[in-house]
Amino acid sequence: MIYLPIAEMPVAVLLILLVSGAVGFVSGLVGVGGGFIMTPALIFMGVPAPVAVATGASQIAATSFSGIMTQTRRKAVDWRMGLLLSIGGVGGSSLGVALFERLLRIGQLDLLVSLLYLLLLSSVGFLMVRESYRFWRGRPAKSVSILRRPLKTAAHTLPFRLRFPRSGLYISVLPPLGIGFVIGALSAIMGIGGGFILIPAMIYLLRMPTNVVIGTSQFQVLVIASLIVILQSMATHTVDLVLALLLMAGGVVGAQIGARVGAGMKAEYVRGILGALLVAASAKFLFDLVAPPQEAYVLGAGMW
Amino acid sequence: MVRRVLATLAFALLAGAPALAQQQPGADVADDLPAGVAEEQISVSSTYGGSYITVFGMNPDRRGRGDIVVVLRGPTEQATVMQKRRVFGLWINGDPVRFSEAPAFFAVLSNRPLREIASPQSIWRYQLDPAASAQLASAVPAGGDPSAYRAALVRLRHAQGLYQWYSRPPQEGVRGGLTAYRGGLFRAVVRLPANAPIAQYHADTYLFRDGRLISRQRIPITISRIGVERTIHDMATNVSWLYGIVTVLLALLAGWGSAVLFRRP
Repeated sequence: MIYLPIAEMPVAVLLILLVSGAVGFVSGLVGVGGGFIMTPALIFMGVPAPVAVATGASQIAATSFSGIMTQTRRKAVDWRMGLLLSIGGVGGSSLGVALFERLLRIGQLDLLVSLLYLLLLSSVGFLMVRESYRFWRGRPAKSVSILRRPLKTAAHTLPFRLRFPRSGLYISVLPPLGIGFVIGALSAIMGIGGGFILIPAMIYLLRMPTNVVIGTSQFQVLVIASLIVILQSMATHTVDLVLALLLMAGGVVGAQIGARVGAGMKAEYVRGILGALLVAASAKFLFDLVAPPQEAYVLGAGMW
Repeated sequence: MVRRVLATLAFALLAGAPALAQQQPGADVADDLPAGVAEEQISVSSTYGGSYITVFGMNPDRRGRGDIVVVLRGPTEQATVMQKRRVFGLWINGDPVRFSEAPAFFAVLSNRPLREIASPQSIWRYQLDPAASAQLASAVPAGGDPSAYRAALVRLRHAQGLYQWYSRPPQEGVRGGLTAYRGGLFRAVVRLPANAPIAQYHADTYLFRDGRLISRQRIPITISRIGVERTIHDMATNVSWLYGIVTVLLALLAGWGSAVLFRRP
């Protein structure tokens, strides 16, 4: 047991290491930050939601930095695209932290977080499972998927076009900026890295080749997560250094093991597994929103 | 024999204890109840997992008449209680009711039910009950019941271990409660959970006879952080930007370290 100085509660060291290790493993396996499992897991263990969201960001930063080091050696990071996404993300996460603080004060943070998790996890999860299923049935998604059909998207027709040599694209800078902004805002509010939304967005909306998608998304996630840690430290004083160190220790080790296991697997299957996970998680959120509560009253902002 | 030693110890400690009595409702009551606290300073280090607070003293009545009530109070702060409402099939938090003051920690100990010791007026006047200590600050929404919100606050905080009440002597296997020994000596033990706020507390001891308050005593208890816990907390509050940057740098170091460590040949 160790006492957390900011969360003001004792936690079991081994349990935190185990949970963060497991989350890290999944994140290494499929190339996502893993925050969408970590944040709810921490809240479930009794860590106050604001502390879980803000502290989780530091673990996301560690995991994504570790991932980038690996991806750089494979030349799988499109730095130009990553920079554009990050610029959008800086704006989005600043707005997100401000909104987070406001919602926390009026006691509606839980509702927004639950609704966002429900919507995003179920829709993204469904798309991933469907694509994986079609691949498994031996029909490549490219010829079937409605999403895959148009080879040109808005990104190809909007103004301010720029060449992205590593992705082999010539597209407008506006969609990357916009996607970055949305991901930044969602990261700040939901305590997620955003990789699991960012990766499909890059594949389906920007038509980026799959091999650079993970590295580039990790770059954006790193920039945004680092920024959120600093902003939350200043705005809400909810970053717990002791908890952060425990999460990092478990997370980075798990991520390395996950990345190694993931390298030997087909990307479509990995995405299918993740999709199933997301759908399962969204079902939990739906249940909590719809099921009649056992306790009719809740403590509001006085909690923090 | 043991009781005698305890009593001597109690008086020895009491002689040294500063009689810090603060103004409270009912200035007509004497602040001379002999009582002391075994732990006036509690330090929170990285291994902190809550603690116990022991309040002891003597019933000054030679014939042992009257009942002792011990209350341990944490800092008062604002609180909000919301009721869950069903909107479009979803249960959402609605109808917030604000309390301008509610104790962040409250424990009341007596060796028989409080209602048999003190009159309802006294309970409210001296705030001997967590519900009596919470001050409603906003109007309750139409159709709402103020006492339901008050009860909900007490219930929710009780579930977190922050509001406690003991109306019996300590039971077998449970540490916590008030024990009255022969000769007027009493001892009250409160479990302070690890989630109780780190702040200034007060232990208040009351002597009631025939439902009326006769005498009382107020003793401050300081809970503070020490060592690494203190360094981290102070840094996070005073130089939060630096704290954020240090956390990020540590994160990068951890990420870099693992990437190097696990590099494939």
